[in-house]
Amino acid sequence: MEKYIKKTMGANVSQLERDIGSDQFPPNEHYFGLVNFGNTCYSNSVLQALYFCKPFREKVLEYKARNKRTKETLLSCLADLFHSIATQKKKVGSIAPKKFIARLRKEKEDFDNYMQQDAHEFLNFLINRINEIILSERPQKSRGNDGESNAIPPEPTWVHEIFQGILTSETRCLNCETMSSKDEDFFDLQVDIDQNTSITHCLRCFSSMETLCGDNKFKCDNCSSYQEAQKCMRVKKLPMILALHLKRFKYMEQYNRHIKVSHRVVFPLELRLFNTSDDAVNPDRMYNLVAVVVHCGSGPNRGHYISIVKSHDFWLLFDDDMVDKIDQSAIEDFYGLTSDIQKSSETGYILFYQSRDTADVNLNEAKVNGK
Amino acid sequence: MTSHKSGGQSNRKKVQVSFVIRDEVEKQHRAGVNSLQYDPHMQRLYSAGRDSIIRTWNTKPSREPYIQSMEHHTDWVNDIVLCCGGKNLISASSDTTVKVWNAHKGFCMSTLRTHKDYVRALAYAKDIEQVASAGLDRAIFLWDVNTLTALTASNNTVTTSSISGSKNSIYSLAMNPGGTVIISGSTEKVLRVWDPRSCNKQMKLIGHTDNVKALVVNRDGSQCLSGSSDGNIKLWSLGQQQCVQTIRIHSEGVWALLASDNFNQVISGGRDKKIYITDLRTKRSTLLCDEEAPILKMAAHPDFTGLWVATSNSSINYWPIPKKETIMGDGVEENNVGQAASSRPEQTIKGGPAIRKYHILNDKRHILTQDTESNVAIFDVLKASKVEDLGKINFEDEIKARFKMVFVPSWFNVDLKTGMLTIHLGQDETDCFSAWVSAKDAGLTHSEVVDQKVNYGSILLRALLEHWWTSIAEEEGDCHNDGTIGGPHAKFEPSSPNRDYFKVPPHTPLIFSEVGGRTLYRLLVSDASGENEMSLLQETVPPWVADIVVEKTLPKFNKIPFYLVPYSNTAVKSIKRERLSANDFIQMHKVAEHVYEKMLGSETGSVAGAGSPADRYEDIELAGGEVEEKVELLCNDQPLDSNMDLRTVKAFIWKNNSADLVLHYRPIKGGSRP
Repeated sequence: MEKYIKKTMGANVSQLERDIGSDQFPPNEHYFGLVNFGNTCYSNSVLQALYFCKPFREKVLEYKARNKRTKETLLSCLADLFHSIATQKKKVGSIAPKKFIARLRKEKEDFDNYMQQDAHEFLNFLINRINEIILSERPQKSRGNDGESNAIPPEPTWVHEIFQGILTSETRCLNCETMSSKDEDFFDLQVDIDQNTSITHCLRCFSSMETLCGDNKFKCDNCSSYQEAQKCMRVKKLPMILALHLKRFKYMEQYNRHIKVSHRVVFPLELRLFNTSDDAVNPDRMYNLVAVVVHCGSGPNRGHYISIVKSHDFWLLFDDDMVDKIDQSAIEDFYGLTSDIQKSSETGYILFYQSRDTADVNLNEAKVNGK
Repeated sequence: MTSHKSGGQSNRKKVQVSFVIRDEVEKQHRAGVNSLQYDPHMQRLYSAGRDSIIRTWNTKPSREPYIQSMEHHTDWVNDIVLCCGGKNLISASSDTTVKVWNAHKGFCMSTLRTHKDYVRALAYAKDIEQVASAGLDRAIFLWDVNTLTALTASNNTVTTSSISGSKNSIYSLAMNPGGTVIISGSTEKVLRVWDPRSCNKQMKLIGHTDNVKALVVNRDGSQCLSGSSDGNIKLWSLGQQQCVQTIRIHSEGVWALLASDNFNQVISGGRDKKIYITDLRTKRSTLLCDEEAPILKMAAHPDFTGLWVATSNSSINYWPIPKKETIMGDGVEENNVGQAASSRPEQTIKGGPAIRKYHILNDKRHILTQDTESNVAIFDVLKASKVEDLGKINFEDEIKARFKMVFVPSWFNVDLKTGMLTIHLGQDETDCFSAWVSAKDAGLTHSEVVDQKVNYGSILLRALLEHWWTSIAEEEGDCHNDGTIGGPHAKFEPSSPNRDYFKVPPHTPLIFSEVGGRTLYRLLVSDASGENEMSLLQETVPPWVADIVVEKTLPKFNKIPFYLVPYSNTAVKSIKRERLSANDFIQMHKVAEHVYEKMLGSETGSVAGAGSPADRYEDIELAGGEVEEKVELLCNDQPLDSNMDLRTVKAFIWKNNSADLVLHYRPIKGGSRP
């Protein structure tokens, strides 16, 4: 901790500007580190990643512009934080997300301490909470009697528009061979990982056929009984921003705790999903990697989170209040370890892929604005 | 429930008690028929039902077809083979057992419990009287039939050889008459071949792209036919270890195969409901018939003049097989598949409807059902019997029409796997002792004096096991005549009147099984006092049941916490917010009595909140006048009927599961307060 602070106070700030080059520095862009309030790197790393998911940042700033004085919520605190970064006079520096962390600790008991937290759990909580806040702030259309209006699903929010995809699970009973399918929404995909593989491989495994058997049989409506079945999960609607959570913390019964899996999993800069369903709406969507939350250390309860993000044409590394420009080739360092012996590792943990069609829209807008 | 006296089973999986609501004699299959065997000497047909029953039929057209039922399985019977020249039948079931039957007399001789999951398929080597069983546990067991039929109660050990190596669940199995080759089909999509004499692996035949559900092997074990969910039939040469012919005639999975003795002709059926006969030399296929449901099994007459067909419907049809010349005649087309050779079965053994839908009414006692023929019926779970057939009426409308605003906690689970109602009583998420109701409301007492409460699960278990516990009581010379009626902690279900509350039909099958798992024991209610049954029950009945039916322990009451608050408009001074707790079945007039006695300015008002008020409601005797004329209770601004009970108020008026129930009270003006 201490060494970071010293560095910031030293020459680091101007170093970043020098690395980027003052003529190359993107206009209207700010690179601000976030001060750690005692093990809050789980939050800092996720917030930075989200800040550089452009569609998300824009919606949060839009929210700030539209809601000048609202009662304090997690979303209002986030909007204030993003707004304050975006309106800094300096181009680089660090900022203390004090209000946000205070609010977070108030809203969720689990985060109300100085313990290590799981960045994915935090992301999940944050996205869902923001969605709830947006829904609750909508003009109340005569709530209906007895809450029976719940039957109609509410209009999607911008959180849905950005992060929500649809998974479809297709199940075939092995007795009557009837196929049934069920859709479910997701904000992120949680994928199991294997040693020396790629994200594409992990996604293929994610969608591979699973046999429901033994004590886990399928209750078939047609057979009125439990039967073996084959099930597979495929993506039916691809989200604008695809968040992939690599399941690097595995519960090991023999140790009675979670162990970090440092397997080397290559994540490409460009991604196309092959595990889409036959009736997928937009199966050809191409994705670009925009941000990665990296876990450094040996286990879920010890270690550190940092994030690497793509901004314009270069990559930045955010380590709490420090910001560094890194080489694109340095991303490889976060794939994981090929050997299972080493204990500590710096590994990609949550990947944020943004669909190229939305990126293009933003780019076009930028061009128009540039003229 | 707190004491576990009859013990020694604590390490076992939790045991549940189930029973089937059915007629004493079920002459018709209630659901699909999974397997068939034909005995040409007796002209009898054996059919294995999804309703757990194997039935014997007389196939002579002039006679009444039903002969008898073989009942001992508790889940789908998946396969049967007839052996020892028709003397014995062996069956395989989803209850994980294999059973040996005396086929002529129809009784179960022994039960083999080596499998750990559904037993799906059997194979029979006729010349050496050997049977093999296989299933979803991936294991194959070989049985010597002569050893099996010689088993007795004292000599009940049997050695078996097992064949392992299948990597997936086995769905089909075949053995040649000489028992020199055994083949399994599984979700692995390959056929695995072993020599059953040595149990050595011989080969793996690769070619299908989906589960293999039907297999036949020829007499000398040199060729075999397979039917797969991929829709193809393949002819394999075991000598060449490869597929020599593929027949693509079915549009969906092939589930049943039958070959002529010389292996020149194959009859196939499957999910597409069609039966084809194919000449393997000319490769010509002819459509024999269109069935009404997916075909599960076929059994041919030995002279190949006709075949019995079992489908996922409960009826069994007999279809003639046209003479070879007529079907293989001068057909110009490669596959003469247009018109079926027969449009109507020659004979039908009619099946009955299977219950497919159910709805438990709010009284948690009656179940509305709808069967495959759209008949709606109403059942009484407590009496283990059908109340009434309502005919072909609209199921959803009937559910609405029978809606009652009462809330009783769930205390049983329903299972329709056999096409009949199976009720499970357990101690899991659904605790079978959670429902206390008024004996008067349940129509179980005529006493107008005392508002007696009964526990549904408790009295039903005692009725189901009546023959057992009364025999134990007689043995012990213990009459349990403590007949005090009164407070909730006294035994107010005294044995003598309770014994006469009601009886369940004596033919009701009673099943003890591990929750979500294997069946431990099945018997009929009426048989529970037999010597053998008594000793088996002693071992099987779980402690939580024995405590109730033998020890007569009383199940716990369910308490509901709630607040009693004066209604805001009233002039009552006390603004105490009393947190109370009461049995979930107490009625509003009891609460009103409490309010009247203890809270509305009565001299003892100050102590009302202490202790457990529920205990006192039972003995409040109110002198003069109806209390409901003096005190009104409300919940969510809605006045409450004095007969409504606490849990109903909570479920239907309060409607909030996370917050404690709040009841408001106000004195009624003009009410004759003394």
